[in-house]
Amino acid sequence: MVELTAPVKWTVRLAAVGYVFLLVGWPVVTLVQHAFAGGLDSFRAAFADPDVSHSLVVTVEISLWAVAINTVFGVGMALLLVRHEFPGKRLLSAFIDLPMSMSPVVIGLALLLVYNGRDGWFGPTLEAHGLVVIFNSPGMIMATCFVALPLVVREVIPVLEEVGDDQEQAARSLGANAAQVLRRITLPAIKWAVVYGVVLTLARSLGEFGALKIVSGNLTGQTQTAPLVVEQKYNNFAQGEAYAVSFVLVLISVLCILVVSLLRPKESQP
Amino acid sequence: MSIEINDVSKRFGDFVALEDINVSLPTGQLTALLGPSGGGKSTLLRIIAGLEKADSGSVNIEGVDATRMSPQKRNVGFVFQHYAVFKHMTVAKNVAFGLEIRSHGGLRPAWTPRGRDERERIQARVDELLKLVHLSQFADRLPSQLSGGQRQRMALARALAVQPKVLLLDEPFGALDAKVRKELREWLRRLHDEVQVTTVFVTHDQEEAMEVADEIVVINDGRIEQVGTPDSLYDEPANDFVMDFLGEVTQLGDLRLRPHDIEIGLSPDLAGSTAADILRLTRVGFEVRAVAGTEEGQEVSVLTTRAHARALGLEEGARVWLTPASGAATVPAMRSVLVG
Repeated sequence: MVELTAPVKWTVRLAAVGYVFLLVGWPVVTLVQHAFAGGLDSFRAAFADPDVSHSLVVTVEISLWAVAINTVFGVGMALLLVRHEFPGKRLLSAFIDLPMSMSPVVIGLALLLVYNGRDGWFGPTLEAHGLVVIFNSPGMIMATCFVALPLVVREVIPVLEEVGDDQEQAARSLGANAAQVLRRITLPAIKWAVVYGVVLTLARSLGEFGALKIVSGNLTGQTQTAPLVVEQKYNNFAQGEAYAVSFVLVLISVLCILVVSLLRPKESQP
Repeated sequence: MSIEINDVSKRFGDFVALEDINVSLPTGQLTALLGPSGGGKSTLLRIIAGLEKADSGSVNIEGVDATRMSPQKRNVGFVFQHYAVFKHMTVAKNVAFGLEIRSHGGLRPAWTPRGRDERERIQARVDELLKLVHLSQFADRLPSQLSGGQRQRMALARALAVQPKVLLLDEPFGALDAKVRKELREWLRRLHDEVQVTTVFVTHDQEEAMEVADEIVVINDGRIEQVGTPDSLYDEPANDFVMDFLGEVTQLGDLRLRPHDIEIGLSPDLAGSTAADILRLTRVGFEVRAVAGTEEGQEVSVLTTRAHARALGLEEGARVWLTPASGAATVPAMRSVLVG
């Protein structure tokens, strides 16, 4: 550790705090201020609009589905990537990271191309069997899953690697089958990584905008999610309501982070 | 015969870990698989446990063909070098794991009469095992609160809990410090005499193998070099490698033999003695190590007792005559030839 002189130390600290404040703190504080500018008027106005409360319900529903699906597949894929050797493993690993580097709008367009009901590659077949994907919940869940795909996987993989497979082998030699090993050994060992991944996925899903705007069709009162409502309200000069809905979204995110930071320290104790 | 290994081979890519291994490990005995690191002994142990699959050959445990059996069906206890403790479970829960799995996966609820009975039975067995490994007072601790030696004893209790037909230990004391190692291997010997389960353990420490095992299988480069009791291996090594691996070796003329198997005399009155001058003398406790130079320029190390050295009046520069002791284990130099 390099020893810093007092003035340098304080300058560095000030720069770090100032940077985060200007980038994150101030804008968020201002947003909250604006949301409460007229007391609770903006909130009353916003929630008087049934489309707004519906959008929040849709957002939560889509997010919960996406979290559930990504958790199951995320843990599964992490196990596959860490514990098994197979051809194409590196390719799969690269594909999982793809959503990180792709614009969500592009993801939305890609899904639209494959699953739309008129000339999509797969859409007409599905619609013939009564499953409408695009401009409907399945497509929105898929888009959200796609966008948040790496979050659980990338949290779980390093923990799985660190834990190693000694405990799993020991459990197998003691007579446990695959399901028992997973439930009693592997899952408890990666529990916190999964929780963290779930919270990140939830936060990411609640705020998803670009991909959902494309695949949902942004149908007010039907497939419109909360972030889409924020944009619509803002464009329609109902800034107060936009800020109010934004505040609700911020609040949920902060609660998520709070819950995790309250739970997580217990892990470091033996 | 308890464990029969027939023609087992195993490769990892280009690396040949095991080549045509044939060996029988006797029931009720403590067998050591001894050899240098990377020689294939751990792989063989893992193949017996089913944690690794042999490319070819078969494994037979207590008369049952186990070649294609999954590890959970083999009824084999396995102890790992780095303990492999279940970190999130207490010591008692760790030991109970195998028993709970066996009683319907531990899923039968505690409030049903049968569930309660089972729980009590498991509890009693866990108590008994913890007593056996001297960990009774640690039952409710987490493994992270135990020392390395205690963790390994817990891992042993956990493996023994399910009453395995075979107990397999992979370098069980490898991660412990020298003093604890010594204590634990003496303890393992006593435990084995008490429990009498067929036990196979892997080690690269020849002293550990000699001290603990009834029988030693020396493995090197994926092949078995020799199988025998500690005494027979030491006294009649099959080849250079076994001789070298089991203890110190020096060369006198065309023979390779142990330094303590060379007799030192002050006159050439024994047949076949070689003249040499003492170059160095080192005293280590009760032993005296001498390095003597022969007229052909060979440096021979000789080990003798302090009393004997004093009686002869050995000192650096003294002329001595060296003779292989009668009955000494010898191997011709530079060649591997079967002796026994």
